[in-house]
Parts: sequence; structure tokens; C-alpha cells
Amino acid sequence: MSAHAKKAVEFQRNAADAEGHDRAVYAVRAKRDAAARAIADDWENLRTLASDIKRHTITHLDVYAEKFAANAEKNGIHTHWARDAADFNAIVLEILRRHAVRKLVKSKSMLTEECGMNTFLAENGIEVVETDLGERIIQLMGLAPSHIVMPAIHIKRERVGRLFEEKLGSEKGNHDPTYLTRQARIHLRHAFLEADAGLTGANFAVADHGGVVVCTNEGNADMSASCPKLHIACVGLEKIVPDLASLGVFTRLLARSGTGQPTTVYTSHFFHPRPDGELHIVIVDNGRSEILANRTHWETLKCLRCGACMNTCPVYRRSGGYSYSGTIPGPIGINLGMLRDPHANAGNVSACTLCASCDNVCPAKVDLSTQIYRWRQDLATLGVADPMKRLMSSGMHFLFTHPALYVAAQRLSPLLNALPRPLVYNRLNAWGRGHELPRFPKKSFARLLNEGIV
Amino acid sequence: MASKEEILSKLRQNVRSEKFAMPDLSNVRGIHFADKTAAFIKMSEAQGAKVEILPPDGHVDDIIRRTFPDAKSIVSNLSGITSATKNQDDTKSVYTLEDTDVTVCEGVLGVCENACVWVPQRTRQRAAYFICENLVILLDRACLVDNMHEAYRRLETENIDWGCFISGPSKTADIEQALVLGAQSARSVLVILI
Repeated sequence: MSAHAKKAVEFQRNAADAEGHDRAVYAVRAKRDAAARAIADDWENLRTLASDIKRHTITHLDVYAEKFAANAEKNGIHTHWARDAADFNAIVLEILRRHAVRKLVKSKSMLTEECGMNTFLAENGIEVVETDLGERIIQLMGLAPSHIVMPAIHIKRERVGRLFEEKLGSEKGNHDPTYLTRQARIHLRHAFLEADAGLTGANFAVADHGGVVVCTNEGNADMSASCPKLHIACVGLEKIVPDLASLGVFTRLLARSGTGQPTTVYTSHFFHPRPDGELHIVIVDNGRSEILANRTHWETLKCLRCGACMNTCPVYRRSGGYSYSGTIPGPIGINLGMLRDPHANAGNVSACTLCASCDNVCPAKVDLSTQIYRWRQDLATLGVADPMKRLMSSGMHFLFTHPALYVAAQRLSPLLNALPRPLVYNRLNAWGRGHELPRFPKKSFARLLNEGIV
Repeated sequence: MASKEEILSKLRQNVRSEKFAMPDLSNVRGIHFADKTAAFIKMSEAQGAKVEILPPDGHVDDIIRRTFPDAKSIVSNLSGITSATKNQDDTKSVYTLEDTDVTVCEGVLGVCENACVWVPQRTRQRAAYFICENLVILLDRACLVDNMHEAYRRLETENIDWGCFISGPSKTADIEQALVLGAQSARSVLVILI
């Protein structure tokens, strides 16, 4: 059993919660479909353009990265370059220390999750307050996000109510979402005003203009970047796009794909520091330049981090984000995990039915399922293949390449129907765990054909 | 700056020899609307925003007073807003904006396909746009465009230091996917078309 499958069993243990998760996530997928249909004449063209722009940018990333940084500097933005997670965390800490920052408000950033920044900053005496509601809930619970766009999708309102009673002093037994959101608003207001610095991620970095674009619904990135005088924006190299015209394509796709909205409420463009303020941009590599050289998997860099692939994935919906190892779950997470560390994350690659639904919803046309399939082919070479599956595969190979044996096996197969269950479904039949055998017909199709029946 | 050179040289070394061309985006047409004003209003309302059309002899202040009769603190740096009680540019600290009931600002571009209004910086304290309970955006009806492609084409000629597309009130669905208006930023948005 793969590491993912074991955790999925845990997740499924609470059947009601698991079903609720499946339904909530699929509802977002349905909203995405409606949003795409509303601009049906444009949709496929937009996806093709998005893929083409990303392919172009990635195959010229050296040029665009340099251009982006040069233009940002020209605008009076301080740019920093981080090779890896340790570099990145150290750079941010250094900026914070130089400004004597004690409290930092932060809007959602998967890049900082990837690099373990919150833990690092806390260890160094910085109080970090996540300001996206879902992210704050997760942070107060001491958990990691289970989805990249809806981090607390797996948490019931009652649990949030109890959490806020304990941490924010909200009313006992009140778990109305509107009430709880209001409590968080009041709590976070104080944080925005008390904080000495704000840190945001970035959805796009525009090379022509040397600035970043941040999309949110809550307005928390704008509060983080407008209340304290110091703003640090973190951007992974793959977020670079050439120009404003590219944003025309991506902003039309991002929210429609991710949450089924025609746009996020706020699409904020930070191209210069604000009056009396300071803007720092940290450009982070952390393995991205390696992916660039990967002949088979380089197109993973096209990902916009919209979350559409996880919303549509039948395995993600039924197993939850925590069943996956690595920072990001779902189809894109399986691929990114393998690129980062195949030995640590090989347990994810079986979490795919190869249904290819993710390929069809991806706004940048990343061929997610094909890439997962390729990773599976590499498991033996990487030395992380499941020995039981290898044994079964070589058994099947032997059977399928020996016709006489195959025909004999087929004739005998109806006998299996009559065998008592424990004889068929036992520890020796690893395949039978979670799978049901079909009923074998008395006569195979080949025999029916030979006898002139079909 | 050692790591800058290191990363750039790694990019140069690893970037693929197979190059892809940039697609031509100058002619992407996108969705169009026969009646832009009607489309913008419909989409704004779907996003939870309100839209009012300023009558020929009307005044913005009348609409603001009528819509927010209990507002004590009205913040604006626009000239001619007589209902304003405070100009955010006169303050150095965002603390003084904490209890803002209404902020009145100017948009320069409205997008019919998704209700986005481009709000440029034009202030020392852009926190005023987000920290308020209610946001009022004044927008010239002649500045409506059909879609985001057109919007960004218009922005090419603007000098952008900072700017934000705002499409309605701040919202969240982070607790069990239940939609709640008024998360961390303005709880209501009123666009007045002039």
C-alpha cells in the first residue's frame, strides 16, 4: 500500500466528513465549469494562449528574470535573489531585523509554505500572523493548508467556532460563518495596524514593468501591503510573465479556473514602493532552475497555482490534501513533489486514476496525468517501486505473453466466482484491497466469437 | 549579489535550446457587450457591488449622504466632495483611518466582463481604499471597456506606480464554502457612474 493510500484510509474513516469534503470541492469544480461556459467562445483560445505565453517565457527565463529585476530596481524596488529555502528565509529575516520588525502580517503564499518560513521566523523571535481567513484558521490550529486556494476546506464550522472561542474569545457555541468571519475581521484589524511589516506572495511578476501582481478576495494582501510601511513580496521564478497583455490572458483564466469567479475581488499591481514606504521583492529559485533542464517535466513550470486540478481530481476529493506528502497536494502536487524529492514523495504517484480530467481543466494546459504516468515508469529506475506491484506486473507480463497459458487461465476463471471470499480476498492478493473483482463470464469474448455467437 | 549571478548563470545554462515564440496578443478580441453600462451594472451586482448612475443634475454628495446617513467619518482626497470629513493625505499614520465609515475614490477604467474597476494610487495613504467599511468609487461611464484585454491595452499608456482592479466588496468562503461579504477589507462597494 502506498503512503498516500494509507493516509487516504485514515481520511475515509470519518465517512461524513470525507463525503462533505468531496461535495464541497466538487461544487467548486462545477462553478469553474459555469464560469468557463460563460465565456465559451474565448475559453479554449485563452488556454492555448496561456500555455504559449508560459512556454515562451520559460524558454527565455534567463532573459526575462534579468529584465524583471532591472526594471524593478529602476522603479526603486529593492530586489533580492534566493537560491534555496535557507537563502530565502535568511534574506527575509535580515530585512525584518534591519527594520526592527517584531510583528509581521502575511498574506497567503505557497512559496513560504514550501520553504518553511513561518517556523523559521517564529524561531527567530518574529510574530507571524497569517491574514487570509482560511490560512489564519489553519495557523491557529497548528496545521498546514490542505488545499492551495482553500486551505481550510476540510475543517467544519463547529471546529472553527471552538477554535475562535479559545483563541479570540468569541461567543460560546456560535459557529455561524458570518459571525466567525466578523470576529476574525476584528482580530486581524488589530494585527494589520500593529504590524511593522507585511509580506505577500505574488501571482505574477511583470518583466516589462518590474512589479508584481497579487490576487485576493479578502483584501488581506492589500491591507498587509498598505498599513505597515515595509512590504516584502516573494516571487518564485516561474511567476514571471512578459507584459501587461499577458496579464489580460492570465487574469481572465485564474479566478474562473480556481474558484469559478469571473475575477478575484482585488487584483493589485505593485510596481513602485508607496509614498513613504519601502518595497522589497525576493526572487526565489529553490529548484526551479533545475526543473527548467528536465526534458520530460519542464512544463510543470507553466502552473498558475489556481487549484483547478485538485478540485476536479476524483482521488484528491476523496482522500483530502493531507494524504499527499510534500507541500502541494493533488495532480500538480504529485508532479512538483517528484521533482523536488522522488524518494520522499514517490508514495503520491499512485494517487491518480489517469482519468486526465486535470489536463482538461488546467488553464495553462500542463499535461498533468501524462507526467504522472511518466513518473510511474521511472519508479523502478529511481529505486522506489513497490515490490508487490512489480511482482504483479511481471506476473501479468508472463501471462499476457504466453497465449496458451492465457487461454487456460481464462477458461478456469469462472471458478473464482464460486470461491469463498476469504480465499480470494486475503493478504496474498494485494490488488484485492480496495478493489472488487468483476464476475467472470462462463465464456470469454474470444470463445463467443469463435462459436459464431457474436 | 553573488546569488543573483549564480541563479542567472544557472538559468542561462539550463534554459532549453528549443525556443517557443511569444503569441501575438495585440488582436485578442475577447467577449463584447452591446450595452456596456447594462453589462457592467449586472456584473457588479452579481459580485455584490451596487451601481448608481448620477442623474444629469445630481451630485455625488447627495448619493453618499442618502446611502450612508449614519456615516461619521468620510474620507476622500478628491476635490468637490463636500461630505468628506477627512483627507487621507493629511495624515501620516494609518491609525487615524481605522474608524473610516466611507472612503470616496476615483476609478479610471471599468471592465464589463467581470466588474473590475481600476483604482490608481493617487494618494499617500492607499490604505484608505481598504481599511474603510464602505468604498465609493466614482467612474466615468465613457471609461467602460468590454474585457481585460482591452483594459490592459488602455493601461499601457498609464503610468502605473500602484493600481488595483476592485470588483466588489471583500469576501471569503473559507469556512465551509459559505460566502460571507466583508472579510478583511471594505464590506460594501458602491460605484457611481458619472
